Amino acid sequence: MVARPRWRPTRVLFWLALVAVAFTIAFPFYWMISSSTKNLVELFGRDPVFFPSRIHGDAYRILFRELGFGRNLVNTAVVATSTAVLAVLIASLGAYAVARLHFRGKNVFLNLVLIVYLFPGVLLIIPLFAMLVKIGTAFSFEVQDNLAVLVLTYLAQTLPVALYMLASYFRTIPDDIEQAALIDGCSRLKVITRITFPLSVPALVSVTVYTFMIAWNEFLYAFILLNRRENFTLPIKLLSISEQLNTRWDVVMAASTIMTVPIVLLYLAFQRFLEKGLTAGGVKA
Amino acid sequence: MAHGARVRTLERREARLAYLMVAPTFAIVIGLVVFPAFFNVWISLHRIGLDNLNDVFRAPFVGLRNYVRAATDYAFLDALTTSVLYTILATAATTLGGLGAGLLLNTAFRGRGIFRTLFLIPYVAPLISVAYIWRWLLDPTVRGVVNWTLMRIGVLDHPVSWLGTRGVALLAIILFEGWRYFPFAMLMILARLQAIDATMYEAASVDGASRLRRFWSITLPEVSLVLGTVFLIRLMWTFNKFDDIFLLTGGGFGTRVLPILTYEFSFRLFDFGRGAATAMVLVLILSGFMLVYIRKVMRW
Repeated sequence: MVARPRWRPTRVLFWLALVAVAFTIAFPFYWMISSSTKNLVELFGRDPVFFPSRIHGDAYRILFRELGFGRNLVNTAVVATSTAVLAVLIASLGAYAVARLHFRGKNVFLNLVLIVYLFPGVLLIIPLFAMLVKIGTAFSFEVQDNLAVLVLTYLAQTLPVALYMLASYFRTIPDDIEQAALIDGCSRLKVITRITFPLSVPALVSVTVYTFMIAWNEFLYAFILLNRRENFTLPIKLLSISEQLNTRWDVVMAASTIMTVPIVLLYLAFQRFLEKGLTAGGVKA
Repeated sequence: MAHGARVRTLERREARLAYLMVAPTFAIVIGLVVFPAFFNVWISLHRIGLDNLNDVFRAPFVGLRNYVRAATDYAFLDALTTSVLYTILATAATTLGGLGAGLLLNTAFRGRGIFRTLFLIPYVAPLISVAYIWRWLLDPTVRGVVNWTLMRIGVLDHPVSWLGTRGVALLAIILFEGWRYFPFAMLMILARLQAIDATMYEAASVDGASRLRRFWSITLPEVSLVLGTVFLIRLMWTFNKFDDIFLLTGGGFGTRVLPILTYEFSFRLFDFGRGAATAMVLVLILSGFMLVYIRKVMRW
Protein backbone atom coordinates (compact mmCIF):
# COMPACT_ATOMS: atom_id res chain seq x y z
CA MET A 1 0.00 0.00 0.00
CA VAL A 2 1.14 3.48 -0.78
CA ALA A 3 1.13 5.85 2.17
CA ARG A 4 -1.04 8.88 1.53
CA PRO A 5 0.86 12.17 1.54
CA ARG A 6 0.40 13.93 4.84
CA TRP A 7 -0.18 17.33 3.31
CA ARG A 8 -2.57 17.30 0.44
CA PRO A 9 -3.09 20.70 -1.22
CA THR A 10 -6.73 20.93 -0.13
CA ARG A 11 -5.65 20.34 3.45
CA VAL A 12 -3.12 23.16 3.24
CA LEU A 13 -5.73 25.49 1.77
CA PHE A 14 -8.15 24.50 4.51
CA TRP A 15 -5.71 25.37 7.28
CA LEU A 16 -4.70 28.59 5.56
CA ALA A 17 -8.33 29.69 5.39
CA LEU A 18 -8.96 28.69 8.98
CA VAL A 19 -5.93 30.54 10.30
CA ALA A 20 -6.76 33.61 8.19
CA VAL A 21 -10.26 33.82 9.66
CA ALA A 22 -8.94 33.18 13.16
CA PHE A 23 -6.37 35.94 12.71
CA THR A 24 -8.89 38.57 11.54
CA ILE A 25 -10.91 37.78 14.65
CA ALA A 26 -8.17 37.43 17.24
CA PHE A 27 -5.94 40.29 16.14
CA PRO A 28 -8.44 43.13 16.71
CA PHE A 29 -9.02 41.92 20.27
CA TYR A 30 -5.30 41.47 20.86
CA TRP A 31 -4.79 45.00 19.56
CA MET A 32 -7.45 46.34 21.94
CA ILE A 33 -5.82 44.80 24.99
CA SER A 34 -2.25 45.59 24.02
CA SER A 35 -3.09 49.20 23.05
CA SER A 36 -4.68 49.72 26.44
CA THR A 37 -1.38 48.89 28.17
CA LYS A 38 0.93 51.00 26.00
CA ASN A 39 2.48 54.32 26.85
CA LEU A 40 2.20 57.24 24.46
CA VAL A 41 5.60 56.63 22.87
CA GLU A 42 4.64 53.09 21.97
CA LEU A 43 1.18 54.16 20.89
CA PHE A 44 2.12 57.04 18.64
CA GLY A 45 5.63 56.09 17.53
CA ARG A 46 6.66 55.80 13.90
CA ASP A 47 5.96 52.10 13.74
CA PRO A 48 3.30 50.25 15.71
CA VAL A 49 4.62 48.17 18.61
CA PHE A 50 3.26 44.68 18.15
CA PHE A 51 4.84 43.18 21.26
CA PRO A 52 5.08 45.79 24.03
CA SER A 53 7.96 45.02 26.36
CA ARG A 54 6.13 46.08 29.49
CA ILE A 55 2.62 46.79 30.69
CA HIS A 56 1.64 50.35 31.53
CA GLY A 57 -1.40 51.08 33.66
CA ASP A 58 -1.71 54.77 32.77
CA ALA A 59 -4.83 54.39 30.68
CA TYR A 60 -6.65 52.50 33.41
CA ARG A 61 -5.52 55.03 36.01
CA ILE A 62 -6.88 57.92 33.93
CA LEU A 63 -10.10 56.03 33.40
CA PHE A 64 -10.84 55.43 37.06
CA ARG A 65 -9.12 58.38 38.77
CA GLU A 66 -9.91 61.19 36.34
CA LEU A 67 -12.90 60.09 34.35
CA GLY A 68 -15.01 58.46 37.07
CA PHE A 69 -15.33 55.25 35.08
CA GLY A 70 -16.08 53.23 38.22
CA ARG A 71 -19.39 54.98 38.64
CA ASN A 72 -20.42 54.10 35.09
CA LEU A 73 -19.30 50.53 35.54
CA VAL A 74 -21.57 50.27 38.59
CA ASN A 75 -24.48 51.87 36.67
CA THR A 76 -24.18 49.34 33.89
CA ALA A 77 -23.83 46.42 36.28
CA VAL A 78 -26.94 47.53 38.17
CA VAL A 79 -28.99 48.16 35.02
CA ALA A 80 -27.95 44.89 33.37
CA THR A 81 -28.48 42.80 36.51
CA SER A 82 -31.92 44.27 37.22
CA THR A 83 -32.97 43.79 33.60
CA ALA A 84 -31.79 40.19 33.60
CA VAL A 85 -33.39 39.22 36.91
CA LEU A 86 -36.70 40.95 36.20
CA ALA A 87 -36.88 39.70 32.63
CA VAL A 88 -36.34 36.10 33.68
CA LEU A 89 -38.83 36.34 36.54
CA ILE A 90 -41.57 37.89 34.43
CA ALA A 91 -40.88 35.90 31.29
CA SER A 92 -40.68 32.54 33.04
CA LEU A 93 -44.20 32.97 34.41
CA GLY A 94 -45.57 33.89 31.00
CA ALA A 95 -43.56 31.14 29.33
CA TYR A 96 -44.96 28.54 31.72
CA ALA A 97 -48.51 29.62 30.98
CA VAL A 98 -47.84 29.43 27.26
CA ALA A 99 -46.16 26.04 27.46
CA ARG A 100 -48.48 24.27 29.88
CA LEU A 101 -51.80 25.97 30.46
CA HIS A 102 -54.80 26.32 28.17
CA PHE A 103 -56.26 29.72 27.74
CA ARG A 104 -58.06 31.55 25.02
CA GLY A 105 -55.90 33.88 22.91
CA LYS A 106 -52.72 31.94 23.54
CA ASN A 107 -51.67 31.78 19.91
CA VAL A 108 -52.46 35.42 19.31
CA PHE A 109 -50.33 36.31 22.32
CA LEU A 110 -47.44 34.14 21.15
CA ASN A 111 -47.48 35.57 17.64
CA LEU A 112 -47.71 39.09 19.03
CA VAL A 113 -44.59 38.41 21.08
CA LEU A 114 -42.75 37.08 18.05
CA ILE A 115 -43.67 39.98 15.79
CA VAL A 116 -42.86 42.57 18.43
CA TYR A 117 -39.39 41.14 18.40
CA LEU A 118 -38.93 42.37 14.84
CA PHE A 119 -39.91 45.97 15.61
CA PRO A 120 -37.03 48.35 15.01
CA GLY A 121 -35.68 50.34 17.94
CA VAL A 122 -35.52 53.52 15.85
CA LEU A 123 -39.24 53.30 15.20
CA LEU A 124 -40.03 53.09 18.90
CA ILE A 125 -37.58 55.60 20.30
CA ILE A 126 -39.49 58.73 19.19
CA PRO A 127 -42.97 57.76 20.46
CA LEU A 128 -41.48 56.15 23.56
CA PHE A 129 -39.58 59.31 24.32
CA ALA A 130 -42.64 61.52 23.80
CA MET A 131 -44.79 59.14 25.83
CA LEU A 132 -42.35 58.89 28.73
CA VAL A 133 -41.91 62.66 28.85
CA LYS A 134 -45.69 63.01 29.04
CA ILE A 135 -46.07 60.40 31.77
CA GLY A 136 -43.12 61.86 33.64
CA THR A 137 -44.72 65.32 33.67
CA ALA A 138 -48.08 63.89 34.73
CA PHE A 139 -46.69 61.92 37.65
CA SER A 140 -43.83 64.35 38.26
CA PHE A 141 -40.86 62.09 37.97
CA GLU A 142 -37.74 62.57 35.90
CA VAL A 143 -37.74 60.46 32.73
CA GLN A 144 -34.28 61.41 31.59
CA ASP A 145 -31.34 60.22 33.66
CA ASN A 146 -33.59 57.73 35.39
CA LEU A 147 -32.01 54.28 35.39
CA ALA A 148 -35.29 52.62 36.44
CA VAL A 149 -36.99 53.97 33.31
CA LEU A 150 -34.08 52.64 31.28
CA VAL A 151 -34.52 49.19 32.82
CA LEU A 152 -38.22 49.33 31.96
CA THR A 153 -37.45 49.98 28.28
CA TYR A 154 -34.91 47.16 28.32
CA LEU A 155 -37.57 44.82 29.69
CA ALA A 156 -39.72 45.66 26.69
CA GLN A 157 -36.79 44.73 24.45
CA THR A 158 -35.85 41.50 26.21
CA LEU A 159 -39.15 40.00 27.45
CA PRO A 160 -40.37 38.71 24.06
CA VAL A 161 -37.23 36.73 23.30
CA ALA A 162 -36.85 35.57 26.91
CA LEU A 163 -40.42 34.30 26.95
CA TYR A 164 -40.00 32.60 23.61
CA MET A 165 -36.78 30.84 24.62
CA LEU A 166 -38.15 29.71 27.99
CA ALA A 167 -41.44 28.48 26.57
CA SER A 168 -39.66 26.29 24.04
CA TYR A 169 -37.52 24.87 26.85
CA PHE A 170 -40.47 24.19 29.16
CA ARG A 171 -42.13 22.26 26.36
CA THR A 172 -39.21 19.81 26.30
CA ILE A 173 -39.78 18.86 29.95
CA PRO A 174 -42.07 15.81 30.12
CA ASP A 175 -45.48 16.69 31.47
CA ASP A 176 -45.88 13.42 33.46
CA ILE A 177 -44.02 14.52 36.57
CA GLU A 178 -46.12 17.66 36.84
CA GLN A 179 -49.34 15.74 36.26
CA ALA A 180 -48.42 13.27 38.99
CA ALA A 181 -47.73 16.08 41.44
CA LEU A 182 -51.02 17.78 40.52
CA ILE A 183 -52.93 14.55 41.15
CA ASP A 184 -51.17 14.26 44.50
CA GLY A 185 -52.73 17.56 45.38
CA CYS A 186 -49.92 20.01 44.68
CA SER A 187 -51.08 23.45 43.55
CA ARG A 188 -49.93 24.82 40.19
CA LEU A 189 -47.68 27.38 41.82
CA LYS A 190 -46.04 24.68 43.89
CA VAL A 191 -45.53 22.53 40.82
CA ILE A 192 -43.89 25.47 39.04
CA THR A 193 -41.54 26.43 41.84
CA ARG A 194 -40.73 22.90 43.04
CA ILE A 195 -40.61 20.95 39.77
CA THR A 196 -40.53 23.01 36.58
CA PHE A 197 -38.05 25.71 37.60
CA PRO A 198 -35.51 23.36 39.20
CA LEU A 199 -35.60 21.25 36.03
CA SER A 200 -35.09 24.33 33.88
CA VAL A 201 -31.98 25.74 35.50
CA PRO A 202 -29.92 25.57 32.27
CA ALA A 203 -32.54 27.55 30.35
CA LEU A 204 -33.08 30.03 33.18
CA VAL A 205 -29.34 30.61 33.43
CA SER A 206 -28.85 31.06 29.71
CA VAL A 207 -31.74 33.51 29.42
CA THR A 208 -30.42 35.45 32.41
CA VAL A 209 -26.97 35.70 30.86
CA TYR A 210 -28.40 36.54 27.49
CA THR A 211 -30.64 39.36 28.71
CA PHE A 212 -27.77 40.63 30.85
CA MET A 213 -25.65 40.88 27.71
CA ILE A 214 -28.35 42.78 25.81
CA ALA A 215 -28.74 45.32 28.60
CA TRP A 216 -24.97 45.61 29.08
CA ASN A 217 -24.47 46.49 25.41
CA GLU A 218 -27.55 48.58 24.70
CA PHE A 219 -26.72 51.90 23.10
CA LEU A 220 -29.63 53.77 21.48
CA TYR A 221 -32.08 54.05 24.39
CA ALA A 222 -29.36 54.90 26.88
CA PHE A 223 -28.02 57.48 24.45
CA ILE A 224 -31.41 59.20 24.19
CA LEU A 225 -32.45 58.88 27.84
CA LEU A 226 -29.26 59.66 29.73
CA ASN A 227 -27.82 63.17 29.84
CA ARG A 228 -25.63 63.47 32.90
CA ARG A 229 -22.18 61.95 32.91
CA GLU A 230 -22.56 60.32 36.30
CA ASN A 231 -25.62 58.46 35.07
CA PHE A 232 -24.10 57.14 31.86
CA THR A 233 -23.93 53.44 31.22
CA LEU A 234 -20.70 52.12 29.72
CA PRO A 235 -21.57 52.43 26.01
CA ILE A 236 -22.47 56.11 26.39
CA LYS A 237 -19.48 56.70 28.62
CA LEU A 238 -17.22 55.23 25.97
CA LEU A 239 -18.72 57.52 23.36
CA SER A 240 -18.22 60.56 25.57
CA ILE A 241 -14.64 59.59 26.39
CA SER A 242 -13.78 59.22 22.73
CA GLU A 243 -15.30 62.62 22.00
CA GLN A 244 -13.53 64.22 24.92
CA LEU A 245 -10.08 62.66 24.43
CA ASN A 246 -10.10 62.32 20.70
CA THR A 247 -6.75 60.64 20.15
CA ARG A 248 -6.13 58.91 23.47
CA TRP A 249 -6.60 55.47 21.99
CA ASP A 250 -4.98 53.87 25.03
CA VAL A 251 -7.81 55.18 27.23
CA VAL A 252 -10.57 54.30 24.75
CA MET A 253 -9.11 50.80 24.36
CA ALA A 254 -8.84 50.38 28.13
CA ALA A 255 -12.53 51.25 28.46
CA SER A 256 -13.36 48.84 25.62
CA THR A 257 -11.36 46.12 27.34
CA ILE A 258 -13.20 46.57 30.62
CA MET A 259 -16.51 46.42 28.77
CA THR A 260 -15.59 43.36 26.75
CA VAL A 261 -13.92 41.12 29.34
CA PRO A 262 -16.97 40.35 31.53
CA ILE A 263 -19.11 39.61 28.48
CA VAL A 264 -16.57 37.28 26.90
CA LEU A 265 -16.05 35.50 30.22
CA LEU A 266 -19.79 35.01 30.59
CA TYR A 267 -19.91 33.68 27.06
CA LEU A 268 -17.07 31.23 27.70
CA ALA A 269 -18.64 30.03 30.93
CA PHE A 270 -22.09 29.46 29.48
CA GLN A 271 -21.24 28.85 25.84
CA ARG A 272 -23.14 25.62 25.50
CA PHE A 273 -26.42 27.04 26.80
CA LEU A 274 -26.04 30.32 24.96
CA GLU A 275 -25.45 28.88 21.52
CA LYS A 276 -28.77 27.15 21.64
CA GLY A 277 -30.49 30.40 22.53
CA LEU A 278 -28.57 32.34 19.89
CA THR A 279 -30.11 30.30 17.12
CA ALA A 280 -33.46 29.40 18.72
CA GLY A 281 -34.73 32.92 19.17
CA GLY A 282 -32.37 34.42 16.70
CA VAL A 283 -30.53 37.02 18.70
CA LYS A 284 -31.39 40.55 17.84
CA ALA A 285 -28.27 42.55 17.41
CA MET B 1 -72.91 16.12 35.29
CA ALA B 2 -71.32 17.21 38.52
CA HIS B 3 -68.02 15.88 37.30
CA GLY B 4 -68.27 17.87 34.07
CA ALA B 5 -68.96 21.05 36.00
CA ARG B 6 -65.98 20.46 38.24
CA VAL B 7 -63.68 19.98 35.26
CA ARG B 8 -65.03 23.18 33.80
CA THR B 9 -64.34 25.21 36.94
CA LEU B 10 -60.88 23.68 37.10
CA GLU B 11 -60.31 24.70 33.52
CA ARG B 12 -61.56 28.17 34.25
CA ARG B 13 -59.31 28.43 37.26
CA GLU B 14 -56.38 27.30 35.16
CA ALA B 15 -57.14 29.87 32.48
CA ARG B 16 -57.37 32.58 35.15
CA LEU B 17 -53.97 31.59 36.47
CA ALA B 18 -52.60 31.65 32.92
CA TYR B 19 -53.89 35.18 32.35
CA LEU B 20 -52.30 36.31 35.59
CA MET B 21 -49.01 34.79 34.55
CA VAL B 22 -48.87 36.37 31.10
CA ALA B 23 -50.27 39.71 32.31
CA PRO B 24 -46.93 41.39 33.22
CA THR B 25 -45.31 40.49 29.88
CA PHE B 26 -48.45 41.46 28.03
CA ALA B 27 -48.69 44.81 29.82
CA ILE B 28 -45.06 45.72 29.13
CA VAL B 29 -45.17 44.63 25.50
CA ILE B 30 -48.43 46.49 24.85
CA GLY B 31 -47.42 49.58 26.82
CA LEU B 32 -43.84 49.95 25.66
CA VAL B 33 -43.84 48.40 22.19
CA VAL B 34 -47.28 48.08 20.60
CA PHE B 35 -48.74 51.35 21.83
CA PRO B 36 -45.62 53.39 20.93
CA ALA B 37 -45.67 51.80 17.47
CA PHE B 38 -49.20 53.11 16.87
CA PHE B 39 -48.43 56.36 18.62
CA ASN B 40 -45.64 56.83 16.07
CA VAL B 41 -48.25 56.93 13.29
CA TRP B 42 -50.05 59.67 15.19
CA ILE B 43 -46.84 61.64 15.76
CA SER B 44 -46.01 61.43 12.07
CA LEU B 45 -49.24 63.31 11.31
CA HIS B 46 -48.64 66.15 13.78
CA ARG B 47 -46.18 68.97 14.24
CA ILE B 48 -44.15 68.14 17.31
CA GLY B 49 -41.00 69.93 18.34
CA LEU B 50 -39.15 70.60 21.57
CA ASP B 51 -41.59 73.43 22.38
CA ASN B 52 -44.68 71.20 22.61
CA LEU B 53 -43.12 67.88 23.57
CA ASN B 54 -44.63 68.16 27.05
CA ASP B 55 -48.06 68.62 25.57
CA VAL B 56 -48.05 66.27 22.59
CA PHE B 57 -51.77 65.53 22.54
CA ARG B 58 -52.59 69.10 21.64
CA ALA B 59 -50.03 69.25 18.83
CA PRO B 60 -51.41 70.68 15.58
CA PHE B 61 -52.51 68.16 12.96
CA VAL B 62 -50.58 68.65 9.72
CA GLY B 63 -51.81 65.76 7.58
CA LEU B 64 -49.13 64.27 5.39
CA ARG B 65 -46.93 67.35 5.48
CA ASN B 66 -44.26 65.62 7.55
CA TYR B 67 -44.03 62.91 4.93
CA VAL B 68 -43.67 65.44 2.15
CA ARG B 69 -41.04 67.38 4.09
CA ALA B 70 -39.14 64.15 4.81
CA ALA B 71 -39.30 62.89 1.23
CA THR B 72 -38.26 66.22 -0.27
CA ASP B 73 -35.34 66.70 2.11
CA TYR B 74 -32.07 66.76 0.16
CA ALA B 75 -30.79 63.77 2.14
CA PHE B 76 -33.81 61.50 1.78
CA LEU B 77 -33.34 59.84 -1.60
CA ASP B 78 -29.68 59.39 -0.91
CA ALA B 79 -30.48 57.76 2.46
CA LEU B 80 -33.01 55.45 0.83
CA THR B 81 -30.60 54.19 -1.83
CA THR B 82 -27.74 53.93 0.67
CA SER B 83 -30.01 51.94 2.98
CA VAL B 84 -30.98 49.48 0.27
CA LEU B 85 -27.45 49.06 -1.03
CA TYR B 86 -25.94 48.71 2.43
CA THR B 87 -28.61 46.30 3.66
CA ILE B 88 -28.35 43.93 0.72
CA LEU B 89 -24.55 43.90 0.56
CA ALA B 90 -24.01 43.66 4.33
CA THR B 91 -26.54 40.84 4.59
CA ALA B 92 -24.92 39.02 1.69
CA ALA B 93 -21.49 39.42 3.33
CA THR B 94 -22.89 38.07 6.61
CA THR B 95 -24.59 35.09 5.01
CA LEU B 96 -21.69 34.16 2.74
CA GLY B 97 -19.20 34.61 5.59
CA GLY B 98 -21.37 32.36 7.74
CA LEU B 99 -21.55 29.75 4.99
CA GLY B 100 -17.77 29.80 4.51
CA ALA B 101 -17.04 29.56 8.22
CA GLY B 102 -19.72 26.89 8.62
CA LEU B 103 -18.15 24.77 5.88
CA LEU B 104 -14.71 25.15 7.45
CA LEU B 105 -15.99 24.03 10.85
CA ASN B 106 -18.05 21.21 9.40
CA THR B 107 -14.95 19.11 8.76
CA ALA B 108 -13.40 17.06 11.53
CA PHE B 109 -10.02 18.32 12.73
CA ARG B 110 -8.18 18.72 15.97
CA GLY B 111 -8.97 21.98 17.76
CA ARG B 112 -12.33 22.48 16.09
CA GLY B 113 -13.98 23.43 19.39
CA ILE B 114 -11.43 26.18 20.00
CA PHE B 115 -11.94 27.68 16.54
CA ARG B 116 -15.68 27.49 16.94
CA THR B 117 -15.49 29.35 20.25
CA LEU B 118 -13.17 31.97 18.76
CA PHE B 119 -15.31 32.50 15.67
CA LEU B 120 -18.30 33.49 17.79
CA ILE B 121 -16.52 36.23 19.69
CA PRO B 122 -17.07 39.14 17.25
CA TYR B 123 -20.80 38.56 17.63
CA VAL B 124 -20.74 38.23 21.42
CA ALA B 125 -18.42 41.14 22.23
CA PRO B 126 -20.12 44.48 22.94
CA LEU B 127 -20.82 46.43 19.76
CA ILE B 128 -19.37 49.65 21.12
CA SER B 129 -16.06 47.95 21.92
CA VAL B 130 -15.67 46.36 18.50
CA ALA B 131 -16.73 49.58 16.78
CA TYR B 132 -13.96 51.46 18.57
CA ILE B 133 -11.42 48.69 17.96
CA TRP B 134 -12.07 49.00 14.24
CA ARG B 135 -11.94 52.77 14.37
CA TRP B 136 -8.51 52.45 15.92
CA LEU B 137 -7.35 49.76 13.47
CA LEU B 138 -8.61 51.90 10.58
CA ASP B 139 -7.19 55.16 11.98
CA PRO B 140 -6.78 57.57 9.05
CA THR B 141 -3.11 58.30 9.86
CA VAL B 142 -0.11 55.99 9.57
CA ARG B 143 -0.68 55.06 13.22
CA GLY B 144 -3.61 52.94 12.12
CA VAL B 145 -2.36 49.37 11.81
CA VAL B 146 -4.27 48.76 8.59
CA ASN B 147 -2.76 51.81 6.90
CA TRP B 148 0.69 51.06 8.27
CA THR B 149 0.61 47.45 7.06
CA LEU B 150 -0.73 48.27 3.60
CA MET B 151 1.91 51.00 3.16
CA ARG B 152 4.62 48.69 4.42
CA ILE B 153 3.85 46.00 1.88
CA GLY B 154 3.53 48.61 -0.84
CA VAL B 155 -0.20 48.47 -1.58
CA LEU B 156 -0.71 52.10 -0.55
CA ASP B 157 1.68 55.00 -0.73
CA HIS B 158 -0.27 57.29 1.56
CA PRO B 159 -2.71 56.57 4.40
CA VAL B 160 -6.39 56.24 3.55
CA SER B 161 -9.20 57.65 5.65
CA TRP B 162 -11.21 54.44 5.56
CA LEU B 163 -14.18 55.70 7.50
CA GLY B 164 -13.97 59.27 6.23
CA THR B 165 -14.02 58.89 2.45
CA ARG B 166 -17.19 58.64 0.40
CA GLY B 167 -17.61 55.15 -1.05
CA VAL B 168 -14.77 53.63 0.95
CA ALA B 169 -16.63 54.26 4.20
CA LEU B 170 -19.74 52.40 3.06
CA LEU B 171 -17.60 49.49 1.91
CA ALA B 172 -15.74 49.45 5.23
CA ILE B 173 -19.05 49.35 7.11
CA ILE B 174 -20.34 46.51 4.95
CA LEU B 175 -17.19 44.51 5.69
CA PHE B 176 -17.49 45.36 9.38
CA GLU B 177 -21.06 44.03 9.40
CA GLY B 178 -19.87 40.83 7.75
CA TRP B 179 -17.10 40.49 10.32
CA ARG B 180 -19.41 41.07 13.25
CA TYR B 181 -22.52 39.13 12.25
CA PHE B 182 -21.23 36.14 10.29
CA PRO B 183 -21.19 33.99 13.48
CA PHE B 184 -24.98 34.19 13.71
CA ALA B 185 -25.31 32.84 10.17
CA MET B 186 -22.53 30.33 10.86
CA LEU B 187 -24.32 28.80 13.86
CA MET B 188 -27.56 28.31 11.98
CA ILE B 189 -25.87 27.00 8.84
CA LEU B 190 -23.56 24.71 10.80
CA ALA B 191 -26.51 23.14 12.60
CA ARG B 192 -28.07 22.39 9.23
CA LEU B 193 -24.82 21.10 7.71
CA GLN B 194 -24.37 18.64 10.53
CA ALA B 195 -27.82 17.23 9.93
CA ILE B 196 -27.06 16.29 6.31
CA ASP B 197 -27.05 12.54 5.79
CA ALA B 198 -23.39 11.48 5.32
CA THR B 199 -24.35 8.52 3.11
CA MET B 200 -25.30 10.96 0.33
CA TYR B 201 -21.72 12.16 0.16
CA GLU B 202 -20.41 8.60 0.22
CA ALA B 203 -22.70 7.57 -2.61
CA ALA B 204 -21.66 10.61 -4.63
CA SER B 205 -17.97 9.87 -4.01
CA VAL B 206 -18.41 6.30 -5.16
CA ASP B 207 -19.99 7.63 -8.33
CA GLY B 208 -16.89 9.76 -8.81
CA ALA B 209 -18.36 13.19 -8.04
CA SER B 210 -15.71 15.85 -7.40
CA ARG B 211 -15.62 17.92 -4.23
CA LEU B 212 -17.05 20.93 -6.04
CA ARG B 213 -19.73 18.79 -7.63
CA ARG B 214 -20.76 17.38 -4.25
CA PHE B 215 -20.98 20.91 -2.86
CA TRP B 216 -23.21 22.10 -5.72
CA SER B 217 -25.42 19.05 -5.88
CA ILE B 218 -25.74 18.01 -2.25
CA THR B 219 -24.64 20.67 0.23
CA LEU B 220 -26.12 23.74 -1.42
CA PRO B 221 -29.63 22.34 -1.97
CA GLU B 222 -29.64 21.02 1.60
CA VAL B 223 -28.74 24.36 3.16
CA SER B 224 -30.65 26.60 0.75
CA LEU B 225 -33.65 26.92 3.06
CA VAL B 226 -31.60 27.90 6.08
CA LEU B 227 -29.57 30.31 3.91
CA GLY B 228 -32.81 31.97 2.89
CA THR B 229 -34.00 32.22 6.48
CA VAL B 230 -30.73 33.66 7.72
CA PHE B 231 -30.65 36.13 4.84
CA LEU B 232 -34.18 37.32 5.60
CA ILE B 233 -33.67 37.68 9.36
CA ARG B 234 -30.41 39.57 8.91
CA LEU B 235 -31.94 41.67 6.14
CA MET B 236 -34.60 42.96 8.53
CA TRP B 237 -32.19 43.65 11.36
CA THR B 238 -29.59 45.23 9.11
CA PHE B 239 -32.19 47.48 7.56
CA ASN B 240 -33.11 48.77 11.05
CA LYS B 241 -29.57 49.14 12.20
CA PHE B 242 -28.66 52.42 13.78
CA ASP B 243 -25.81 52.02 16.25
CA ASP B 244 -23.21 50.29 14.06
CA ILE B 245 -23.11 53.08 11.50
CA PHE B 246 -23.62 55.81 14.06
CA LEU B 247 -20.61 54.63 16.05
CA LEU B 248 -18.32 54.05 13.06
CA THR B 249 -18.96 57.11 10.89
CA GLY B 250 -21.69 59.09 12.63
CA GLY B 251 -23.66 58.69 9.41
CA GLY B 252 -21.27 60.85 7.38
CA PHE B 253 -19.29 60.23 4.20
CA GLY B 254 -22.02 58.50 2.24
CA THR B 255 -23.20 56.24 5.03
CA ARG B 256 -26.38 58.06 6.04
CA VAL B 257 -29.04 55.34 6.04
CA LEU B 258 -32.74 55.79 6.90
CA PRO B 259 -32.38 54.99 10.63
CA ILE B 260 -29.64 57.64 10.89
CA LEU B 261 -31.83 60.15 9.05
CA THR B 262 -34.70 59.36 11.44
CA TYR B 263 -32.44 60.04 14.37
CA GLU B 264 -31.14 63.28 12.84
CA PHE B 265 -34.60 64.67 12.13
CA SER B 266 -35.78 63.84 15.65
CA PHE B 267 -32.86 64.41 17.94
CA ARG B 268 -30.65 66.85 16.00
CA LEU B 269 -33.33 69.04 14.43
CA PHE B 270 -35.92 68.14 17.11
CA ASP B 271 -38.50 67.76 14.36
CA PHE B 272 -40.19 64.71 15.85
CA GLY B 273 -43.04 64.63 13.35
CA ARG B 274 -40.66 64.43 10.41
CA GLY B 275 -38.54 61.85 12.22
CA ALA B 276 -41.63 59.73 12.85
CA ALA B 277 -42.64 60.04 9.19
CA THR B 278 -39.20 58.81 8.13
CA ALA B 279 -39.52 55.92 10.57
CA MET B 280 -42.87 55.09 8.97
CA VAL B 281 -41.24 54.84 5.55
CA LEU B 282 -38.69 52.51 7.12
CA VAL B 283 -41.44 50.38 8.63
CA LEU B 284 -43.41 50.27 5.40
CA ILE B 285 -40.46 48.79 3.56
CA LEU B 286 -39.70 46.54 6.51
CA SER B 287 -43.24 45.20 6.69
CA GLY B 288 -42.74 43.91 3.16
CA PHE B 289 -39.82 41.82 4.42
CA MET B 290 -41.82 40.88 7.52
CA LEU B 291 -44.67 39.56 5.44
CA VAL B 292 -42.31 37.25 3.57
CA TYR B 293 -40.80 36.19 6.88
CA ILE B 294 -44.15 35.43 8.48
CA ARG B 295 -45.29 33.47 5.43
CA LYS B 296 -42.11 31.55 4.73
CA VAL B 297 -40.37 31.16 8.07
CA MET B 298 -43.14 31.26 10.64
CA ARG B 299 -45.43 29.44 8.13
CA TRP B 300 -48.46 31.32 9.29
